Amino acid sequence: MNHSHDAYLALGAILFVIGGLGFVTRRNLILMLLCTELMLHGVSLTLLAFGHIHGSSSGQAFTVFVLTVAACEAGIGLALVLSLYQRAKSLDVSLWSSLRDPGIDLPEEEFEELASSDDEAYQEFPALTTAGVRPTIDADAPLGGQTWPDEQDYGRPESFVYGPPGKSDSTQKTDY
Amino acid sequence: MPFLADNLFTVLMLFGAVVGLWLAMAQRRFQAKRLGVAIATFSLLGVILPFDTPGVGAVEHFQFWVCSIGALVGGVSMISSRDPVHGALWFAVATISVCGLFLMQAAPFLAAATVIVYAGAIIVTFLFVMMLAQQNGVSAYDRNPRGPTMAILMSAVVLVTMIAALHDFHGDSPMALADRAARAEEGEPTAPPEGSAAETPPKLGAMHTLGRSLFVDHLLAVELAGTLLLIATVGAILLAPRRATGTL
Repeated sequence: MNHSHDAYLALGAILFVIGGLGFVTRRNLILMLLCTELMLHGVSLTLLAFGHIHGSSSGQAFTVFVLTVAACEAGIGLALVLSLYQRAKSLDVSLWSSLRDPGIDLPEEEFEELASSDDEAYQEFPALTTAGVRPTIDADAPLGGQTWPDEQDYGRPESFVYGPPGKSDSTQKTDY
Repeated sequence: MPFLADNLFTVLMLFGAVVGLWLAMAQRRFQAKRLGVAIATFSLLGVILPFDTPGVGAVEHFQFWVCSIGALVGGVSMISSRDPVHGALWFAVATISVCGLFLMQAAPFLAAATVIVYAGAIIVTFLFVMMLAQQNGVSAYDRNPRGPTMAILMSAVVLVTMIAALHDFHGDSPMALADRAARAEEGEPTAPPEGSAAETPPKLGAMHTLGRSLFVDHLLAVELAGTLLLIATVGAILLAPRRATGTL
């Protein structure tokens, strides 16, 4: 146990950075998930090295938990990826770059409006995100067409239209 | 920046890594993928080189460098491969190399568990989804990475920060030495159970030690991890889309 473990720490840092780089640059949803797994490898190496440096096996115990969380993350992530693929018919993450809360415009449009308005007194205040609004759900979504029983309980304004017009009173349920 | 001035070799190697990664990931016009992967791998190995390499003998040094080369080649090839299936397989290479490093760090159980969980379950599931979703070859979004130049530069900044911090860190710091001495003094922490006369002191890396640490020190976390697995299973079943058979 008398040899040094600094090289493991350096390798862990390098693996972490490579994974982060891949996560930022790759546009394939599945490869982005794999890059997070590479980052987790770097973290595991670092945990093991520190555990070895301090002569404690807590580092190994933490790595077991990292492994557990990685398995959970892969399961949930792949289910989400399949769900997204079903809608877009593509694994490109750029297609989802305009994903946002309802009631908010795309930022580019706001910037164009600001640039085109030459009125000095014109001032646009930032709009707060309307929280708690149910997003519009397609009929073929996993929970599509399901009615939400507690719609009145939260005191939402009556004038707000939930979902796309015509879909709000659809009571068809998926059979599972 | 005293670190940059004092460690010119590391800075040069980081620059080489940036160039190699850019060659491997940039647009098609400048693309020299294999050359870029090779340059990036050897530059990153050069970043590791100034650190104290582990091991006491030539064999352990050899093992460490082989596993490091495997991990780095796997990682760099994964993030720069055009075909996502190749990317997943390169990730398997990186995983197996990292498992070799786990073995060298006295964690044989973790090495086995990582091979089983990653290579056995995660990679296969990823490949399965990939082949379901991408049946018509390499698509445009896999050929063109998103903003590679800026991303590589920012990653280099992050890596410089980490490496500079690690240069200041010494594994034989007084705290670590005191920790190790205390644990060695503890020796037999509990009374050995009857029947096992020759109770060996707990050795780092033995299953006995890891099990004791998991189920004595981190018992609540083990229970929480089990609950997390259950919740993730339920959530994955709930989230997975349902379609008629044969379509995705």
